[in-house]
Amino acid sequence: MKNVSSLENIHKLGLFGNNDNKDELINIREIKDVLIYQIVKYKKSSISIDKIKIDNLNLPKTLFVSSNHYTRILWMGPDNWLVVSSNKEIEKSILENLSHDDFALTDLSHSRTILELEGSLVDEVLKKGCPLNLDGLDEGKCSNSAFHAITITIDFISSNPRKIRIFALRSFGESLYHSITDACLEFGYKAE
Amino acid sequence: MLYIKCPYCGLRAQKEFSYGGDATVKRPNINEEVSNEDWDNFVYMRKSPRGKHIELWQHIAGCRQWIKVQRDTATHEIFQTAKVTEEIR
Repeated sequence: MKNVSSLENIHKLGLFGNNDNKDELINIREIKDVLIYQIVKYKKSSISIDKIKIDNLNLPKTLFVSSNHYTRILWMGPDNWLVVSSNKEIEKSILENLSHDDFALTDLSHSRTILELEGSLVDEVLKKGCPLNLDGLDEGKCSNSAFHAITITIDFISSNPRKIRIFALRSFGESLYHSITDACLEFGYKAE
Repeated sequence: MLYIKCPYCGLRAQKEFSYGGDATVKRPNINEEVSNEDWDNFVYMRKSPRGKHIELWQHIAGCRQWIKVQRDTATHEIFQTAKVTEEIR
């Protein structure tokens, strides 16, 4: 099946905004070709999640991310996680480690738009539309929030250089892209 | 803007929440004979108190959990929040 990007018509590569004589720009790229799975533990289940490993990663605690080179597992809510992976065998790994009686697994691979922002001014961009207090949200954390009323998930990948991924429902992708790039114009950005 | 402490995620802006009504309303017991008046009260009739009030809110742009919030309807001061399964005293 062909993977059609939700930003195919609007994500044009190049330099935009106030980029003249700037040492540092914000880099924006779209993350495609990743597998996304939602894992939900049933309320009636009494299983402990401490010993569960997916792609050698634990299911993370509140507002944390477990990650390795291929896979990131984000905490989305109580007993609710999002697995984002470029490992094509991730579904097999999940099914091997989670029991059908305790967990529900949903493939969301084609239902999200993912933007990756990198640069020291990324926090300033977020502050323009997101009510989240960014203090303490460093590398290895994640949070759900809203950006100009669009519900988003932010994965704080790295603190130095600041790098984040923003997830939104695919149908909100173009709208989110316009909101984010509009917020970036003041600082100048490079679409990669 | 109000700041509401989600029992799961911590202090968040009101923008992330959605109001869900009076948290003190009790549904009549299942399989119990209910008068029209009691059912009417459960479905439609709500108090509009001035002062402390226990409300339901959903952290709709966060962890998506329903929570209880004790708020002063006149000053908007928030005294306490709790998981929906917990009691606010």
